[in-house]
Parts: sequence; C-alpha cells; structure tokens
Amino acid sequence: MTNLSRRDFLKLVRDGFLYLSGALAFVGFLRFLDYDPNPAQKTEFDLGLAEKYPLGSRTILPDIPALLIHAESGFTALSLTCTHLGCTLEPDTEGFTCPCHNSRFDAEGKVTHGPAAKPLPALRVELTPENRLTLHLT
Amino acid sequence: MRRLLPLFSFLFFLTFLLVWYLDARQPDPVELIPTLTGQPEYCITCHADLPEISPSHPVKTFGCVSCHGGERLALDADLAHSTMRGGANPSDLTVVEESCGGSNCHSGSEANDRHHIQRVMTSIQSTYAGAIANIRYTFGAQPDLNARFGIYTVTDEETKTGIKSLSAFDPASEENSFIQQFGANCLTCHINAAPREGEAYARQTGCAACHSPTSLSSSEEKQHSLTTAIPYAQCNTCHNRGNYDLRTMTFVERTDQPTNRLQDYYQPIAQFTKCEYTLDCVDCHTRNEAMGNGDLHANKKDIQYIQCKTCHGTLDELPLTKTLTDPNDIAFKLDFLNPIMDLKLGDTIIITEQGEPIWNARQLSDGTFEIVGKATREHFNFRPVMGTACEQNPNEQESRYCHECHAVEK
Repeated sequence: MTNLSRRDFLKLVRDGFLYLSGALAFVGFLRFLDYDPNPAQKTEFDLGLAEKYPLGSRTILPDIPALLIHAESGFTALSLTCTHLGCTLEPDTEGFTCPCHNSRFDAEGKVTHGPAAKPLPALRVELTPENRLTLHLT
Repeated sequence: MRRLLPLFSFLFFLTFLLVWYLDARQPDPVELIPTLTGQPEYCITCHADLPEISPSHPVKTFGCVSCHGGERLALDADLAHSTMRGGANPSDLTVVEESCGGSNCHSGSEANDRHHIQRVMTSIQSTYAGAIANIRYTFGAQPDLNARFGIYTVTDEETKTGIKSLSAFDPASEENSFIQQFGANCLTCHINAAPREGEAYARQTGCAACHSPTSLSSSEEKQHSLTTAIPYAQCNTCHNRGNYDLRTMTFVERTDQPTNRLQDYYQPIAQFTKCEYTLDCVDCHTRNEAMGNGDLHANKKDIQYIQCKTCHGTLDELPLTKTLTDPNDIAFKLDFLNPIMDLKLGDTIIITEQGEPIWNARQLSDGTFEIVGKATREHFNFRPVMGTACEQNPNEQESRYCHECHAVEK
C-alpha cells in the first residue's frame, strides 16, 4: 500500500471537493436543459367508470371542456370549445352558446348562428377493458 | 491543463450557484395556456389581479400575448414588456392591425362586419382630413375644400365618396406659417395623437381612445376595459375641451371646470341637444358616424347625419323603422355586446336613412318609442312628431331649429 503524504491527502480531498461541486453543477445544468417551457398539453382524460354515465345521459365535462353523450349506439363526445376563437361554450335550451361572440350550436354541434363557421368537432371516447372511459382530444 | 480541471469544475459550480440565485429571486411562474394559441404564458404571474378586459376577450381564451405581444415566458418585467405592441395600448393605430386584426377578429370582411380597423383607419376621426383641408384652403394652400391630405397616407380603392386616397400631411413642407403652426399646435385631437396634458384630456390612442373610457371610476377599469357603452365624458376628452384660435393658430383650453352638464358644460360654439341632454353621444350617433363606414370622407359633415327627425320623424313622416326578422341582423350583435335591450325577432327598431340600426330605440305596441341609454341603461319614452301640434318645417331639421321650442329651459 502506497503511503499517502499528508500533502497529497489534502490535495486529493480538495480536488475531490472541486470535482464534486462541478458534478453537482453539471446535474443542475442538465436539469436546466431538460426544462420544457412548452410542455405538450394533455390530450387524454380518464373519465372514470362507464356506469357513472347512464344510457341517455348528456354530461358536460367542464374541465376539458366537452360533452359526453351516452346513446344506444355507445359513447360519443363533442368538444365544447367554440370553433370561432376558442371560448368555452355554455349550454342553453337549444344547444350551446358562445358567451364571447354569440355563436350558437345545436345539440348535435352544428352551427346555427355565426360568427363560428365550423361545427363542433367530435372527440374520440374509448372504453377500456376495466370498463373505464378515456376521452381523446386528438 | 489537467491540474486546472478541478478549478474549472469549481468555477462552473460557482457560476451555476449565481444563476440559481438570480433565478430564485424571480417569482414562481404562474402558467396560463390560452385556448386560442395553445402556448404557455407567464404574464399572470404578475398580472393576476387585472380584471377581464371584456366578456368578448376572456383571458382564458385569448391570453395576454395575442393582443399585447411581449415575451410570454419572461419573468423579468423589463424583458417581458420589451416587445409589447404599442406599450400598454395595443390598439394604437401604428400596431392595431397586428394586435386586433385578423379575419376572425377586427380586420375581416365588410360582409361579415369585421372590417373595424379599415373603418377606423379611413374615418374622419383618424385622418382629420376635413380640418386639414379647411385650414389649407383658408390660408390659400389649396383652391377648394376637397380633402387631399390626412394624418397619414391612406387609400380606399373601392371608394364610394370619390376620394381614393389621402397623402400624409406634412406641415414642414407648407409655405404658409399659419399652416405650419396648425401642424404644430392643432393636431392633438385626431384619434391616434397623444392627448394634451391634463385630466380633462386623458384618453388613450387608437381603438382605446373611445372603447377604454378613462372616465370610468376604477383605476383598474381605466387601464383594462373595452366597451361599447361609451359615456359622453369620454367623447369630451376631445370634443368640447376648448377652441382653436385661428388668429394665433393655437388651441385655447377651457379654463372653467364644468360640472353641470346642462348649465355650463357646453360652450357657446357647440351645438347641443338641449332637450335630450341626459343621453350620451353614442345613444344617437351611430357606429358609422363615430367610427367611419370604410370610405374616406372629406369632412365630419359628410359622415354625420343624425338629425332630430331620425328618431322623431316629421309632421308628414314617421321615423324610419325596421322589423327584425333575421337572427343574424347586426342589431342583435350590438345588443349582445352591450345587453341593454334584449332585442327579439319581431321587434321594430329605428334605422337611419342610410339603413343603420339605432338598435337602442324600439317601437312600442302603442306606436310610441323607447330609447335606452347605452352607458346609463336609463329608459326614455318618446313619441313621433306626426300628429302633434308641431309646425316645424321638415327641411329645417338641424337641432337649432327644434331647440327653438324644445329646450329644457322652455
């Protein structure tokens, strides 16, 4: 075993400390590089168990925002984001109204009053083997 | 070199610590992802307390950057604001197209009534064409009162008024010293001019000159509000604040502090609806009169056409009206933006001779009319002249004639 002089030992400790500090800074630097200022937006939403939405129900999901429809043919969904400029639609007796610019859509999502020109897009709903519903925005 | 490696490593660590320290002094970002852009913004980290600017522009949908510009991910105030459009006012006419334009917003087609910016850019309030032509004519710089110059160069290829373009008015190139002085002293009222100093003149420029009323009580509202319910006090930040003295070619400010609107607010030179002083200017004057109709006009009179008879009719004629049968009628849109009428299909409203709706004036079942103040929401009932004892000559419809009988003091 090589005898380590006191001087060499202190030098080793010092260099070790300096290397360690550099390594810490490097880890921090990597985390900085890893930061994504434009993270991908959530496109999938777990809606819970399908039995929460009985046959014939039309459920507004305000956080998405979307309308989940449970018809005889199965589950479907409509986006509740106005196709004009993106405001969140509000339900009314005939369908949906945009509180920003008064575009109106019928219950099936068709435009009945501008300025919106496009109908509300249908969103894909998936039933998982665990009988849970997943809604996909894209 | 290898011996210096630990030292470099430590220097790297110190640099990192410094950056970390500076970053830690910044507030934690509060993220907003507007549905219109889908791009995160950190503006509300500092501006969370600002009220919504209007129900038509919710921050959740529009965010801040689509209108204001700026560095959306910056947390340093100077950096964040460094690329804002128009400073705090993105509606300044120099940047309005970028801020408020777009075919789905305020720069769309005339058919869809989305050509607001084009209307304002060609309007007499922006071009100041009438005042410039009058002064140039008065001092011999042009042979007639035709409009040749505006505050900036502007063209109207599809002119309906015969004025295809205006050149930019350059007072320095004028030979007459009075016209030069006019350029130096008298151009503070066009819509994009910085206002004169003083609270009475306080307004912003561009769209906000009218639609962001500084006369609202709350200071936050002053800074961040868009409305079509414009009180008369906002109009008065330009109108009725003084007179131009043509001998000295200067603007002479009012020295009084008028408080009573009827008794002392209006100057002798100003025509005033002495019988309807409780209304706001926008209750009668239409959008086209105030904001332009997309055509270049030679002077204010060419685009200002509301008369007493527009609402009251004459001895021989009832006011022009229209029954609303189309759910897409512009009247419904205007009522939606400022919901004071709850207009319904089948309602009959007054229209101008040009067909513009005076959507806040509705005919009642007994044949009389109601008008609702756009800013005050006050209801007033009135009846047509026809069938009354009025003997007014139908050709004398300027307010001065009607006021010979119909003034509050009479």
